[in-house]
Amino acid sequence: MRSSLARWASYGATGLTLVFGTALLVSFVAQSLPVWRHEGLAYVTGSVWHFRSEQFGVLPMIYGSVVVSIVALALAAPLAVGAAIWSAEYLNGRNRWWFKVPIELLAGIPSVVYGLLGVLLLRNWIYELFERFEPLSGDTLLTAGVLLAVMILPTVMTLADDALRGVASSQRRAARALGFTQAEGVLRVSLPQAAPGLVAALLLGLGRAMGETIAVFLVVGRQDSQADYGLRSWLEAGQTLTSKLGSSETFLAYGDPLHWSAIVGLGLVLLALVLSLTLAAGRWLPETGLARNRRA
Amino acid sequence: MRKWIDRGLPIACAICAVACCALLLGIVATILARGLPVLSGEFLSAADGELLGSGGIRYQLFGTVLLVATALAVGAPLALGWALVQAVWVRSQRGRRLLRRTLYAVNAVPSILFGIFGLIVFVKYLDWGKSWLAGGILLGLMIVPTIAVALVERIEALPAKYVRAAAGLGLSKGRIVTSVILPQCWSGGASGALIGLARAAGETAPILFTAAVFSGVTVPHGVVESPVLALPYHIFVLAQDSFDPEAGAHLWGSAFVLLALVLALSLLALPLRLRAAEEAQHG
Amino acid sequence: MRRTFALLVAGVLAGVPAAAALRVIGSTTVNPVVSEAAAILRAEAGLEIQVDTAGGSSGGIAALADGRAEMAMVSRPIKVADRQRFPGVDFRSTTIGADALALVVSADVWSAGVRCLSREQVRGLYERRIARWSEVGGPDRQVVFFNKEPGRGTWEVFADWLYGGVEATPMVSHPEVGSNEEARSKVASTRGAITQLSAAWADGVRTFALGLCETGLPVAHPTRAAVAAGDYPLSRPLTVVTDGPPVGVARRLIDFVLGGRGQALVTRHGYLPLSQANGEGGHP
Repeated sequence: MRSSLARWASYGATGLTLVFGTALLVSFVAQSLPVWRHEGLAYVTGSVWHFRSEQFGVLPMIYGSVVVSIVALALAAPLAVGAAIWSAEYLNGRNRWWFKVPIELLAGIPSVVYGLLGVLLLRNWIYELFERFEPLSGDTLLTAGVLLAVMILPTVMTLADDALRGVASSQRRAARALGFTQAEGVLRVSLPQAAPGLVAALLLGLGRAMGETIAVFLVVGRQDSQADYGLRSWLEAGQTLTSKLGSSETFLAYGDPLHWSAIVGLGLVLLALVLSLTLAAGRWLPETGLARNRRA
Repeated sequence: MRKWIDRGLPIACAICAVACCALLLGIVATILARGLPVLSGEFLSAADGELLGSGGIRYQLFGTVLLVATALAVGAPLALGWALVQAVWVRSQRGRRLLRRTLYAVNAVPSILFGIFGLIVFVKYLDWGKSWLAGGILLGLMIVPTIAVALVERIEALPAKYVRAAAGLGLSKGRIVTSVILPQCWSGGASGALIGLARAAGETAPILFTAAVFSGVTVPHGVVESPVLALPYHIFVLAQDSFDPEAGAHLWGSAFVLLALVLALSLLALPLRLRAAEEAQHG
Repeated sequence: MRRTFALLVAGVLAGVPAAAALRVIGSTTVNPVVSEAAAILRAEAGLEIQVDTAGGSSGGIAALADGRAEMAMVSRPIKVADRQRFPGVDFRSTTIGADALALVVSADVWSAGVRCLSREQVRGLYERRIARWSEVGGPDRQVVFFNKEPGRGTWEVFADWLYGGVEATPMVSHPEVGSNEEARSKVASTRGAITQLSAAWADGVRTFALGLCETGLPVAHPTRAAVAAGDYPLSRPLTVVTDGPPVGVARRLIDFVLGGRGQALVTRHGYLPLSQANGEGGHP
């Protein structure tokens, strides 16, 4: 009797969650159909977004999302992997616990707080630091990337730490027995053994950076079409998929079916990018660990 | 050469580790230094004033608590059900893997997409306008993976002999769930829930279009057309206006309160969470 | 079980209609006045008024048409295009004051001696043909144009004045800003910056409102006196808009804003009260 009730309730809850998940996917596909019909593939390859003339090209936003995520990863990865090596290879249980406390807390800081710090501090630092390159203002793709680097640091660090600690201690002992120093053991045994997990950590960090909205919105400058796609554009204002979705254009599009579907389409593109990164990471890291990925 | 590497590597790694901690310290110190002077009993208990960004944050705080409580009420049962299905009821490895993968996929969905989804479902389709319930449901769905994964980890780490012993006593599987598995694993669920709540409390993107307004709202009377104020949204709006000193003080005070709330929830979860991680690691 | 209960409670609550709250959405230029009036009416008369600025003037109009709001704050005249887009809505707009829209620049541009721009120069700046301030008598620094988001009343008034209409405005790509506060704070913190902004928001310390100068004509400064006299071309009405004649809470809010205390709020925020606004303020 109780068995069937508990079972029924569990399956009911799971079913409900699945219904919501499916509804999310379906609504993004269905509601973006008009813009796919209107633009075709040019929706993702077009580089002009101008809703008044019904031109919807998402390439600048994809470019912006990719640039900020790559900058974030390039800055966060060395720091995170270094800290993870320190934690996994050099600290013993008790000390490691203490080291993990601030990392866990860092992971908990809301993105709007990062955004606030970005607006009030980072924006000006970047502006002054790169003055000789004449950045347009402090709101640049680079600013967003640096801010994101701090935000994904705990995610990458925790996952890298898990990956390194997943290397069997017998492997380490064997390395020592072969006459490796501790550092050599880390470089020649632990890191290669943990490589798949580290790759997964980086992919998930990239995914998280790509999905982050609020902090990026506040510092990215929100300029729809890039003047160019060179390195120079990193020091100019840009737009990401998420900053566009979070902008007031979402409200403005609300009543216009085509414009609205163009906005929802941005979400579909974002979903496709983030899910493929996550699935790719899942191939590298099939068991646990993915769970620790924090949502952007 | 070997000697240098052997010395250099730990130093370099330690520098990375110290830098990570320094970042946290720097962020907390910055918010603390600017937010603490603003903080007072009145700031917490007064409603916002006539001028934009003046007065207190009473209803912003209330709105955030309401959203978070709703998220818990929605997310916890769903996550509990999911975790039991994945870790107890489904026996085939393939089924479990499929469920786990699905959970990770849901976990990866960026929060802004929950916001847009909410706009489509609650605002457009159900015609609720902005509503606290819509925000709570979205935040609740968002934290299902966090809670469920924590629970599943705990259930899977449960020594098999407990379950065998209970089965030996002739208990049904439902009985084993309620009297063995849940009592043993509640801490996993609780820590997951706390982390999830910390996340829900700090989220802006899901409530941007669906639940929060900037001013003029107190306690909602119903569901339809019943938005709330919320701390993250308040900070988000004021952060775009980093100029007015009056609003600035209000802004840092709000940021401090939000950060304190979120860090307190994370800290509460920490002992449970890290202990579980250590146990899982050492089996 | 708990979930079923929660759903049940939600169902019961959903059946109870919210009290007759007035929802106001729209322009950040009009917002300070309406927000403060709403706060006073909340405190003194217990009226329930929600004010939000998502999407600016056009966002407010869309919200009014969609039934997401009972009142829109609009910092421009209602246009034929609005009526065509939402034929089912009976737009009733009430002017509560007037405002000068100015080109506002950062301190370095101002202190280098730029005091006014001609329409042709503004076009050049907007279309990025003029890339450095030295071309219009300013410092040797690149021009950073913070463009108001599409849909903001400020932007539409600017487009009407400069190009004679939103449709005729060329497509450009600039960093975008939303609210007036955001525009002001970004101009203040960026060298070589310019934006379209209500003159009342320029503080004269870090942000400065330029005049408009055409050859052979005296410089028109965006002052209240010039707007009142009809000498400044870029002025606009500040309005609140309802669907049909305002009733109930909307009526009371409008009455308050049009009354002495409400008009004092208009003045306090640097806008022109109705008594000086020349009917609707001489908008283009």
